[in-house]
Amino acid sequence: MTSSLSKRTLMLAVAALCAIGIVGGVAYAASLKKGLKVYVIPKNLGNSYFTTADSVKTDGALAALGTLGEKGTETSGTAATPASQLPVIQSSIAKGANALIISADDPLALCPTLKSAAAKGVTVVTYDSDAPTCRSIYVENAPAQSIGESEVVDMAKELGAAGGQVAIVSAAASATNQNTWIGYMKTELKKYPKLDLVSTVYGNDDPTTATQVTQGLLQKYPKLKGIISPTTVGILAAAEVIDKAKDIGKVLLTGLGTPLEMKSYIENGTSPDVILWNPARTGYIAAYAAVELASKAITDATGQTFTAGSFGKETIGPDGTIDPGGTTTFTKANVNQFHF
Amino acid sequence: MREVSEQGDPTNPGGQGSQNVERGRLAGGAADSPSTASTQLLSQTGARPPILSVREATKAFGAVHALEGVSIDLYAGEVHALVGENGAGKSTLVKIFGGVHQPDSGELVDADGHALVLTGPADAREAGIAIIFQEPTLFPDLSVAENVFIGRQPRRSGGRIDHRAMRRQARALFERLGVPLDPDRPARGLSIAEQQIVEIGKALSFDAKVVVMDEPTAALSATEVARLFGVVQSLRDHGAAVLFISHRLEEVFAICQRVTVLRDGRRVLSQLLGELTAGDLVRAMVGRDIAARERTQHDAGAAVLRVAELQRAGIFKDISFDVRAGEIVALAGLVGAGRSEVARAAFGIDVYDSGRVLVGERALHKGRPIDAMRAGVAFVPEDRRQQGLVMDMSIIDNISLASLRRLSRHGLLIPSVERSFASDWAARLQVKYGNIANPATSLSGGNQQKVVLAKWLSREPAVIIVDEPTRGIDVATKAEVHRLLVELSRSGVAVLMISSELPEVLAVADRILVMREGRLVAEFARANASEERIMAAATGQADVPVALESSPA
Amino acid sequence: MSAAREPEAEPSEPESQRRLVDVVLRARTFGIIVVLGVLVLITALIQSRFVGGGEVRFILSQTALYALVAVGEAMVILTRNVDLSVGSVVGLSAYVSANMFGTHPGIPIVLVFLVGLGVGLGCGVITGAITAIGRVPSLVVTLAMLYIIRGVDTIIVGSGVVLASTEPNSFLNIPTATIFGLPDLALAVAVVVAIAAYYLNSYRSGRDLYAIGSDPDAARRAGIPVAKRVFTAFVISGGLAGLGGVVWASQYATIESTAASGLELQIIASVVVGGVAIFGGSGSVVGAALGALLLQTINSALNVIGVSSIWTEAISGLLLITAITLDRGIQLRVAAALRRRRVRLGA
Repeated sequence: MTSSLSKRTLMLAVAALCAIGIVGGVAYAASLKKGLKVYVIPKNLGNSYFTTADSVKTDGALAALGTLGEKGTETSGTAATPASQLPVIQSSIAKGANALIISADDPLALCPTLKSAAAKGVTVVTYDSDAPTCRSIYVENAPAQSIGESEVVDMAKELGAAGGQVAIVSAAASATNQNTWIGYMKTELKKYPKLDLVSTVYGNDDPTTATQVTQGLLQKYPKLKGIISPTTVGILAAAEVIDKAKDIGKVLLTGLGTPLEMKSYIENGTSPDVILWNPARTGYIAAYAAVELASKAITDATGQTFTAGSFGKETIGPDGTIDPGGTTTFTKANVNQFHF
Repeated sequence: MREVSEQGDPTNPGGQGSQNVERGRLAGGAADSPSTASTQLLSQTGARPPILSVREATKAFGAVHALEGVSIDLYAGEVHALVGENGAGKSTLVKIFGGVHQPDSGELVDADGHALVLTGPADAREAGIAIIFQEPTLFPDLSVAENVFIGRQPRRSGGRIDHRAMRRQARALFERLGVPLDPDRPARGLSIAEQQIVEIGKALSFDAKVVVMDEPTAALSATEVARLFGVVQSLRDHGAAVLFISHRLEEVFAICQRVTVLRDGRRVLSQLLGELTAGDLVRAMVGRDIAARERTQHDAGAAVLRVAELQRAGIFKDISFDVRAGEIVALAGLVGAGRSEVARAAFGIDVYDSGRVLVGERALHKGRPIDAMRAGVAFVPEDRRQQGLVMDMSIIDNISLASLRRLSRHGLLIPSVERSFASDWAARLQVKYGNIANPATSLSGGNQQKVVLAKWLSREPAVIIVDEPTRGIDVATKAEVHRLLVELSRSGVAVLMISSELPEVLAVADRILVMREGRLVAEFARANASEERIMAAATGQADVPVALESSPA
Repeated sequence: MSAAREPEAEPSEPESQRRLVDVVLRARTFGIIVVLGVLVLITALIQSRFVGGGEVRFILSQTALYALVAVGEAMVILTRNVDLSVGSVVGLSAYVSANMFGTHPGIPIVLVFLVGLGVGLGCGVITGAITAIGRVPSLVVTLAMLYIIRGVDTIIVGSGVVLASTEPNSFLNIPTATIFGLPDLALAVAVVVAIAAYYLNSYRSGRDLYAIGSDPDAARRAGIPVAKRVFTAFVISGGLAGLGGVVWASQYATIESTAASGLELQIIASVVVGGVAIFGGSGSVVGAALGALLLQTINSALNVIGVSSIWTEAISGLLLITAITLDRGIQLRVAAALRRRRVRLGA
């Protein structure tokens, strides 16, 4: 019958097309797709940390995307809030994004949108701040444990055998990464009985609030010897307070800070050392991960590997997390060598 | 008061006599031969030229002629009264003096006989004309002295304000006026009387030659009025011309030397007061064709709305009256006599200090309109734009607004039910509208008023209180509203109507209560009411019926 | 307080009346001073270091910026307008002025202040022109300007940031410099407040602002050039916010495009707490400055006592309401006293 014949022909044709498709897919896997629309969405715009992580000048995410021949765009709200980030994500999807590289302001608030993006075939990669349940790969800044631990180790080293009271100036009380690090700090502090953690205050990553809470600490704990601030915004405000209170040397400051911003405080002794990973490295690797995923060259399964340009081979660890390496400690000796 | 006794009781009831006065002598004389009238006036004032005159001013707003060929002469050192019923054109004349309005034809003439063109309040001030409004608008946050001198503060070196000089000058002004006002206190919290004093002080400070006072005493207590008179006297002594507008004839006779009466936008009388009696003024003010009273008497039923000894300190006192089913009771009196306040208190919008309001046997809670509404009372307020209608809502919504509970099923409104309900009532009241879904702003004033009436009538009330039901609406619609009120009462509704228009009161009401200064002072059955008698009672010139005069003090 | 005033209400000679009124007019700021005193006392009892020189200097130096911007804001609010753009102006001016050190090394600090002032005046001219001449409600105009100026700021700052290392120490030390133990900044701002207060009190154009806020229509009728005055108020507010931006830069050293965002609400809160009526017409710049001092003191007190910053916002809001209620209470008593006096005079 003609009908059965034509049906058979159709099936053959479909099979053939499928075969071509598979072959094609395999062929493309070797080289990555070009011209993908990739949106890099930091917590907010105008934040110098993310400027470092994302921009071409600093060899960040956009530099990697440029190298790979993708259409990379950095976009976000002006405030580091989910309310300001959410519309940006939605409009990126509407504009036909192939991949999103995002530092989540609030995983809970953003997840439904990110999940629906994934359902439409958009690759979602997080960096800096994770949204664990609704992304393929998360590129860590540095392993949380090592960040927490090394901040305490540095403080212990600076205060020496005498030890003394220390306090933490954090960002928002609800910030996931801050709380994780502080958790590891507290564990590590148990090894240093001479270090007495007296208070944890929250500067909300706002210069004014951070200034006030730091000043409050200095007043309330006259015997305070050290402040750890695991936030690049908070540490700047804390540094200015210590500077202006002429407490340089009396209260030592360590924590996370970019070498460029902290340079003057490192040099004048306010903050003998700060640690940080290379934010641009995080952005760069996240960009490669996103393009590899979107090109279906890799999956987010544990053990998959890819080469992230100049940073070499990266391996996807448990929970789809990539650990790009440890932190760098910046001191008077080396601070001038870094430009981010 | 002496004038009253001379006037005696109007012997010809029904306004026949006043009609003669208007058409025959006064109005005709003034309009036909203004030159003779003014020469006569000149000779009476020792041939002094007027300091400011309005000549043949005509002003129309749309189809309404507010002023038609009105002339008035103000003389230095003289207090000139301007009287007339509401809507006679007094306010328009005041605004022409104040530069707010420009006459369509006619002109203002200064002492030298030059025409004066005032294009705004600043011009009027420049020309030495000060207007004192009934409720002045001061800067509440500034001191009394600054209110007097704002923009003209005395200065010392470097352009700095000389506060001490300003204070001194203000104090001197108030001393001149004989009122010890503290120049340093903020204007906020000043009584209306004191605010007027500040305005008068301001007028003095820029040497105003003409002071126009628009019903300054309406909101003042007796002592305040006495003080104001002292101030007016001192203005006069300083050679200012004062135009004094008042409804209270005893005040006019107390401080004015000359009077002009306006009626329906025309000058009907202008001469020295000494030649006149209060009766002459009342006749000149109200004399017009009395609307034919076609209504037949009909029997009223039992008392439905009963107000007993209602009292509110400083507002009204000892107010007791009944309104029976099928009866229209009018509350007449001058603006500010406390009529609206009584109605608002009875309905529960305002609270009262003592007394009772009953509907049938049910006592209404004080200050709770919802209680009055449940008892079957409807209230149609005076200011329909602010209180009666939601201007931006549709005609449908406005009509059904007071009946929403009845129109909803399980708390939900059904648009079709609402619409048919509204169009039904709109038809019954003959509301003329383009589309019933259009906003209330699309209607003319008269039709807006009908919508307000429809809104309340649709609740099928037992008592309806209407405050100035025909203010600002045209004659034809007015007649329709009158017809509606009569029909309502025929159907057994008790109607309480507040109206300042005497012809309306006489045409519609079965019984007329007159209020003056917060008290009920007279009661007339329709058979023996006349405009003169009502006006006389309202202005305190009355032959007050003994029955009410002896009511509890 | 009432006990102190009552006896003065008794006599009725003009001179003592005047004294009563003086007390009354001052009462609005008097209320804040009382609240401030109570707050400092309680905090000092809990944490004695609070009244130490270091903390007092810190509070005064922090207050300087807020008081400076609040003076301009107060002048706008007096005219029954509001300037929501001050936070953005401070942010833009902070970046533009501090960036001068990077682009023009060795630039005199005075010039940097002039640059900040210029940025602020520019913004004020635009806002004022639209509001006063275009007769657009200032709430809308300045809300739009808040976003526009912040947007311009974000575009200009772009990937840049002003680093502490580019700014000379002489600039960064401005907030800590002192004369007779008081911060220079606080003294300078006190001078600005005094000048503004004198202007508002002693010049016709200054009094006009009160008249406009008290009753704009009456002001127009009284021949006051309303548009011109409102425009001037906005320009002054912009200019002071521009200077505030430079102060901000000297205080925080590192300037990003988000600098001073949200500042406008704290400024308006200061002004209102300071007794300037939100609907204009009454209040003083001295009050506004004291309001700023009160807010900063509240914040510092909570931090010094060691209240977790999770709670500080809610608690400072609560204290705000308390302060305003207290102040309002005092005002009502004063009004009642005035009424009583009138009755006596009238009788």
